[in-house]
Amino acid sequence: MSRRGAELTTAKDRFGEFAITVGFENARAVLAIRGEVDRVNAPELGAILDAVIERHRSVVLDLAELGFMNGWGLGVLAARASRFRRAGGTLTIRSPSAVVLRLLDITGVAEVVLLENSDPPRRHLGAEQSSEIAEALLGSEPYQLPPHAGKITAIPADTDVVDGALRLVVALARATVGGADGASVSLRRHGHLATVAASDQTIADMDASQYATGEGPCVDASVNGRWFHAESLDTETRWPAFTPRAQALGINAILSSPLLVEDRPVGAINIYSRTAMAFAPKDQELASVFAAEASLILASAGVDVTDEQLSSRRNEALATRRVIAQAEGVIMERAGVEADDAYSMLCDYSRTSNRPFRERAEDVVASTQRLRLGAESEVRQSHCG
Amino acid sequence: MAEISATERPADLLDRYRLNAGLSHGDLWLRYFELGGMDDALELEAILCGALRPSAHDREVIAHALNERFVELGGNHPVPYSESDAGRRREERER
Repeated sequence: MSRRGAELTTAKDRFGEFAITVGFENARAVLAIRGEVDRVNAPELGAILDAVIERHRSVVLDLAELGFMNGWGLGVLAARASRFRRAGGTLTIRSPSAVVLRLLDITGVAEVVLLENSDPPRRHLGAEQSSEIAEALLGSEPYQLPPHAGKITAIPADTDVVDGALRLVVALARATVGGADGASVSLRRHGHLATVAASDQTIADMDASQYATGEGPCVDASVNGRWFHAESLDTETRWPAFTPRAQALGINAILSSPLLVEDRPVGAINIYSRTAMAFAPKDQELASVFAAEASLILASAGVDVTDEQLSSRRNEALATRRVIAQAEGVIMERAGVEADDAYSMLCDYSRTSNRPFRERAEDVVASTQRLRLGAESEVRQSHCG
Repeated sequence: MAEISATERPADLLDRYRLNAGLSHGDLWLRYFELGGMDDALELEAILCGALRPSAHDREVIAHALNERFVELGGNHPVPYSESDAGRRREERER
């Protein structure tokens, strides 16, 4: 076991098992959290906070005995802090460690809560702690995004709190993925991709080049929901308009992993390097862990995947379905066949002509219009004649 | 009857086609629904992973939804439209 791993174990021993103690102090409810908040117990913390928030307007979270809190805990806290503020209550966070304080700060949670310190910070955040955070995020088991993460804590958090959490993920990815010179998170908002967190201006420009050209690993990962790896831009052929722009900014390797909410791609986390072949398989794994963390933050915050784009896509699907049903009816009547056979005939038309099903169905429906107009004109002529 | 290995079962192939087409289960369901599919998303997922056997009509709709995606990507209807079609294609490959 590495030395850092041993220290983590020691830390866990020092803080003990996860437990929450509820007490009262000058008309304030005080929740003391002990141990580590992770994916297993974060929902429990959320449920207790929900119950307390309903009954008390002034709540203190005492974190003096908290060992560590990963993305799950942070997501729960961010959502409740936001809800507390909207309800006009006061949430005070007491004695956070330097690491937790930094997390609260970066994610913007620190701005919506009161901070209270009874002890000096236990630690200072440095390179070693960054690695510690990364290890804690990784956990001991392979990370798996739960299938219904969005439903566990679907309480909408403020956009700025979510963006803050994503900035944290970017900072951690930049610090821990080997060979990374920069990282960013792109999200689809109002039907367009936009960078919500970037480690520096060059990286923000890299993302912007992809949106402008409509191509690149970030765009593809965001649309197709799978990861894209450009090992070396010198030999890259998939994105002819974007690649020269990236090279002009000194970038030579890119790794984009999709962010998924309810199984739908909503954006991507992008890691850039100036060095070709910079990313090894273990870096890809690490990138996917950060993508899972960022996805989780979005799911916990109840990011709306039924945005206008999706709803217009659903309307389109309904319209196509209607046209296909009409075309089926026309073929059934004309050819004297059953519905399934009519469908198969439409399918054959579509396949042999290599044209989309919808277009073939529209042709069939339109043909009845021509027949109707022809018949009307015949009727008119016979009346006039 | 020829024995089909576990990795070549037609139902498995459908989900592999979905993966190759870069579609999530949700995306494929919307395309399937658009083309007149009547099953809900969970039933479709069960069909794709082999837990439910599709009707001949459903099989055709799923295959066409996938094939339209492959055509968008520059392919040419790689997904068999029926299990007999799939068997015929397998035999052709083996010859």
